[in-house]
Amino acid sequence: MKDMRGFETLEGQGDKAPVCRRDFFTMVGWGGFLAAMAGVGVGSFKFYVPTVLYEPPTTFKIGPPADYGIGVDVRWKTIGQFWLVKEEKGMYALVSICRHLGCTPNWFPDQERFRCPCHGSIYDTAGNVRGGPAPRTLWRAAISLDPIDGQIIVNTSVRQDPDPKSIEGIAVYVDPEPRKVAPYYINL
Amino acid sequence: MAERSTTENIYPRNQKKSYALMELVKGQGFQTRKQPEDTVFVWPHLLYIELIAALVSLAILLWVCTFKHAPLEDMASSDTTPNPMKAPWYFLGLQELLVFFDPWLAGMVLPVFIIVGMLAIPYLDINPKGVGYWAWKERPFAIWTFMFGFLQWWVFIIIGVYFRGLDWQWYMPWDDWTQHKPSSGATLNDMNVILHGWGVGETAANLATYAMTIGYFALFLILPVLLWRKFSQQLGVVRYLLVWSLFALLMLSPIKVFLRLAFNIKYFMVTPWFKL
Amino acid sequence: MIDRLVTFIRDTQLWQSIFRHGYPETDRNQSLIMFSSVLLHLHPVKIKRSALRFRYTMCLGGLSAFMFLLLTFTGIFLMFYYVPDTRQAYNNIKDLTSNVFMGELMRDLHKWSAEAMVFLVWAHMFRVFMTGSYKTPREFNWGIGVILLTVTLLLSWTGYLLPWDQLALWAITVGTKMAEATPFVGNAGPWGPQLGFTISNDIRFLLIGGTVVGQNALLRFYVLHCVALPVIITLGMVVHFWRIRKDGFSGPL
Repeated sequence: MKDMRGFETLEGQGDKAPVCRRDFFTMVGWGGFLAAMAGVGVGSFKFYVPTVLYEPPTTFKIGPPADYGIGVDVRWKTIGQFWLVKEEKGMYALVSICRHLGCTPNWFPDQERFRCPCHGSIYDTAGNVRGGPAPRTLWRAAISLDPIDGQIIVNTSVRQDPDPKSIEGIAVYVDPEPRKVAPYYINL
Repeated sequence: MAERSTTENIYPRNQKKSYALMELVKGQGFQTRKQPEDTVFVWPHLLYIELIAALVSLAILLWVCTFKHAPLEDMASSDTTPNPMKAPWYFLGLQELLVFFDPWLAGMVLPVFIIVGMLAIPYLDINPKGVGYWAWKERPFAIWTFMFGFLQWWVFIIIGVYFRGLDWQWYMPWDDWTQHKPSSGATLNDMNVILHGWGVGETAANLATYAMTIGYFALFLILPVLLWRKFSQQLGVVRYLLVWSLFALLMLSPIKVFLRLAFNIKYFMVTPWFKL
Repeated sequence: MIDRLVTFIRDTQLWQSIFRHGYPETDRNQSLIMFSSVLLHLHPVKIKRSALRFRYTMCLGGLSAFMFLLLTFTGIFLMFYYVPDTRQAYNNIKDLTSNVFMGELMRDLHKWSAEAMVFLVWAHMFRVFMTGSYKTPREFNWGIGVILLTVTLLLSWTGYLLPWDQLALWAITVGTKMAEATPFVGNAGPWGPQLGFTISNDIRFLLIGGTVVGQNALLRFYVLHCVALPVIITLGMVVHFWRIRKDGFSGPL
């Protein structure tokens, strides 16, 4: 088979057709170019990923449990972005970040609800969603007692986030009892 | 071709000439309805208009600046969110959409579909009429669909600006906007939970919600071809599928808002990976 | 006397090297100025009289472009007094509005012309749809327009992080949380966690350069707002205007 210029072409010669020099250099050229471009792409991507972060602390030592009364305590919200909830039998910390889009909800003691000012999500003290668009329950932060001085340590970067389900009356619900496990709950 | 003889009769062909009248046909020539071209020089006619428009708009902006200053709130603090937190007005439509849909849907997938849908408009609209003038009657489907989406966006914006107050609750203009409103007593439920509450088995209730969602889209894909056969044929298969899938998505947000407000339904379909 | 001076100036080599023709008051010069000036060359030499009708275009597209020029102009002024640092930014804005001569005017003008631009671009799109101006052969230019609209909104969004006030912080928190919910590439989106994305490697992390909106986010948005997005929108506008000239004006007739 001959091409338009009268040269023999490689068509129809089966898989073992020798790659002519021109084709070889074309392949090497384009292959090299594309590989270089891919390298530029990967390099640019990695350039934009910061390797060292200078972010606010997430671990707080907040005094002995006796400092806190039964119910929701909001004093650490502005400093550490969490609420402390004390019950008869134990304590846990709720991260004060709305699970919808990250605003900080407000605590309404009279209604016993956290309500978000951005899109109207409503949570109860267990963190379950009682209204509004939030798709998941509030995070619970890791909480523990310092074995030496007995103070509470809260780490908001370690978070409990079980998959919720829908039950009659509550759209986004996680049974509160199984959530009361270390390190997200301290027994008193 | 029947008029061939007529043409020959009126203008007999002269064999000595290399040219002749080929054909007479009935109908209007494509120029008959048009007026002679009426053009003007851009300098000065158009440029003056542009200059005046720019100056007038600048004057209006400067006038606004004399009595209304750009807002500046308190310094950023990550611990307290202002109540209510309102985005600038042009994003309030999106913010309102986020009240009813999950973030991945209202914040990402729907906006992407809006953009893709708008990009696709010229390729989906096969009606050649109505170019270059304000036309309502010649392309009712295109205009009404577009108006529906556009107005929906503006209705959401108006709700966001004028009817949302503390804790993102609904406030009427005459309400006291400094008083918190109690959260509504109604609790939201998923569709499958509601069905389950009516005595349907759990798996069957889940399957029923899947069937309803698929049925919704199937309805939009099947019904038009039955109702408007000719229009559908003109569209062709690919355009037809695209037009009506996008149309079904466009209708989804008012339907979901209605379901939420009327029946307190949070999701109408729940899968292990995402919820609609 | 003045006439002679004008004639003298117009005969100088300097003048003639800049202006290749006389004042555009004759047909010939009115044509030549359109050819010889790169900015005016966006326009054709002649247009249909009916295209001048205000009721047809309402100047919406042109005014959108004018708003962009105004925003560039005022934005450059603002950049002289602004440092994208979380400790300084807010005070820079305070300084700008109270201590800098005309600083408040520049900021107000920047803000209101940005809002006007969003409105005008929307209105322009509405007009173009209603007059069917996106139909063949202008499909591609409609697409460019949709992209310009998107970039306009992105410019607004990146812009209001910069004052580092409460609106800035929370609007960006909310906006980037939406990015976090993107399917496949966000840690809170469908199939995001399954693909191994966490809060410290997903699309939001890339966008704000960290896990919380802080210094990195401010700097990234500053670069996007002042350099990257304006370059993109300028390129888009160039293509947009070029295609209007190439595809012809859709006006009456």
